[in-house]
Amino acid sequence: MIGRVAWLLARPGTTGLTASALPVVAFAIVTALLLAVLGGAQTFWTWTDDWAVTYQALAVIALVLLVVPLASLGGAAARLSARRRDDRLATLRLLGATPATVSALAVIESAVLAAAGAVVGVVLYAALVPALALIPFRGEALGIEGVLLGWAALVGVPVGVVLLAVVSAVLGLRLVVISPLGVRTRQDAPRLHWLRAAVAVVVVALGAGLMAVLQVAASALVILGMLAVAFGGALAVQNLVGPWVIRLVARAQAGSAKTPAKLLAARAVLESPKAAWRQVSGVAMTSFMAVFAGSGVAVLGSMGGGESDRESELLIADIRTGILITVIGSFLMVACSVGVNQAAAILDRRDLYEALGRLGMPTSTTDAARRRSVMSPLRITAIGSALTAAIVMLPLTGITLIVAPASLLVIAAVLAAGIGVVWLGLLATRPLLVRAAGA
Amino acid sequence: MPRRISSGRMTPGRPNPTPVRRVGGARSGRLGCMSSFVIEASGLSRSFGQTHALAGVDLSVRAGESLAIMGASGSGKTTLLHCLAGITRPDAGTVGFRSGSGRVEITGLGERERSRLRREAFGFVFQQGLLIPELTAVENVALALMLNGMPRARAEEYGRGWLAALGLAGLEDRRIGQLSGGQAQRVAIARAQVTGASVVFADEPTGALDSVTSADVMSALLDSTTGQGRTLVLVTHDPGVAARCSRMVEMRDGRIVGERVAA
Ligand SMILES: Nc1ncnc2c1ncn2[C@@H]1O[C@H](COP(=O)(O)OP(=O)(O)OP(=O)(O)O)[C@@H](O)[C@H]1O
Ligand SMILES: [Mg+2]
Repeated sequence: MIGRVAWLLARPGTTGLTASALPVVAFAIVTALLLAVLGGAQTFWTWTDDWAVTYQALAVIALVLLVVPLASLGGAAARLSARRRDDRLATLRLLGATPATVSALAVIESAVLAAAGAVVGVVLYAALVPALALIPFRGEALGIEGVLLGWAALVGVPVGVVLLAVVSAVLGLRLVVISPLGVRTRQDAPRLHWLRAAVAVVVVALGAGLMAVLQVAASALVILGMLAVAFGGALAVQNLVGPWVIRLVARAQAGSAKTPAKLLAARAVLESPKAAWRQVSGVAMTSFMAVFAGSGVAVLGSMGGGESDRESELLIADIRTGILITVIGSFLMVACSVGVNQAAAILDRRDLYEALGRLGMPTSTTDAARRRSVMSPLRITAIGSALTAAIVMLPLTGITLIVAPASLLVIAAVLAAGIGVVWLGLLATRPLLVRAAGA
Repeated sequence: MPRRISSGRMTPGRPNPTPVRRVGGARSGRLGCMSSFVIEASGLSRSFGQTHALAGVDLSVRAGESLAIMGASGSGKTTLLHCLAGITRPDAGTVGFRSGSGRVEITGLGERERSRLRREAFGFVFQQGLLIPELTAVENVALALMLNGMPRARAEEYGRGWLAALGLAGLEDRRIGQLSGGQAQRVAIARAQVTGASVVFADEPTGALDSVTSADVMSALLDSTTGQGRTLVLVTHDPGVAARCSRMVEMRDGRIVGERVAA
């Protein structure tokens, strides 16, 4: 039994390289990112002065911001593995395998892919070390010794990535029904309540109110605390209303769609607004964080005036550096997650795409529909979250700072970069679609 | 909405908004004047590695007939259907398709042109409806017309007409997951017919249905194809289904080994 199963596993799949290469690349980038952040942050723990704690706290926040998408990436990779196995399910069943065996194989496979990716990630990190060494914190470059990690981290992080991949695979697979006929029951499209919108308006208003009274706060610690509350609240609100807004827009689009691609895209989003939101929420969160934190830092910088000491100036510059690194990191993660999710989605619907190809539906139409079903929610959420951030920050920064050419340029650049990486994720999975439709 | 007219064959590419229920397979007079073959295949062979799925098949399909292809599993039925419909290209041999606008050699066309031909001149019904699950029934049908450039409102109107003719009135706005297997298969039939396809290819269209539903779906399929002077090519394992077709060929090991014409 084991021998035959191993043979089935080793056999080259019908899905080609893309489906296995994507998770490996994704896990490699995640591992390299984690190592890079750890490497940069370890210096903070060598400091012993008053500022050390602040830096350590910010480093932990950056790490948490990276670990959450990592977990969802692991789940997506496992679903992809399960889908890749679908075509062999019949054979496995004949050999006496139960669905549990198939799930186990998918978990094992994603662990193997995660391990391969993690090893590549370590190499990637090693290649990045010279560049990381140049990043300045508190006025001086970190230096090679500063960012070079010990063996414990170099072994521990890859092991941790593999473990996370396994855990999220097990959790992710519980959501996937693997049936021999590939028939999945689909219920009615979910309904979301307008109450969400009402709650959102209240929370955003409260956040803006908090920002309006921020100036009177006495200490930097209180200011940071209020910023954190407003940030967290607005972020939570986006999770609440994101799917709801996406669904509203998609419903209007489904009604008015004139072309097959537009109709297909709108209906696909309506099928699961939450999934559509999850896929692009990374970009929303990141652009929100960039606008929020960016303008917050700008205000802190201008607020201090003459009396600000060198230490807090450096802290502000360093927070800027940290924001930049986190933005780049989470965009990379979003690109990976879109790629892996899309690959899983395509394999999920392989039979349908094949049938549509036979009916004479051009692959360009299918691809346009798929792209649109991601890009349309993305546009809504990216613009929506940048707007939310601007509204919350407005009382604090004043309109001049928000509409200053430099701010607008930065905001536009962040949005463009976010949309660009998602586009890349879509582009990377096109070969899979072409293969599915032409088979 | 759909008017009841009783014209015969539609030219490929022109939508067929007017489903007509007519008993029997009467052919329009116009067809008699033309060559009576819509599809002519000769010397078809196709191998997958060591397997000779098709080993020299000659087959002509007459306009307005219903042709059943039978044979054991693995005898090459699906492969033959795919070659006739321009889904797969044979290793050797030719397939010609004759329509109102002349004869085209399908085997000589590129992928893009074959895709267009399939979209405009042919209709398909598979064993599993393979409808788009998130679209409603009427949208699934209308999509076939929209792909050929018809505005959505008109496409949906035609779609509703067809669904009603196939006994699905009132279910147009349900999503596919909310339909039974037999109902979904009727939606697939509507999708195959609505473009005015001159030939409908069906691969085990009743394979996943119980015998009563199967008989219903088969009646719907025959009524909407040969019932209007159009052509049906169908693969089936079910002798009962084959018996309702006007002609049956039997395949074995990639060859046609027998033929029977209905009395
Ligand atoms: N894409 C393919 N790759 C490899 N072999 C194939 C492929 N398609 C068909 N074959 C082989 O060609 C032969 C004929 O297949 P085909 O699908 O035409 O049979 P069929 O008569 O339709 O069978 P069934 O009644 O089971 O559907 C079989 O031996 C099959 O294994
Ligand atoms: Mg077959």
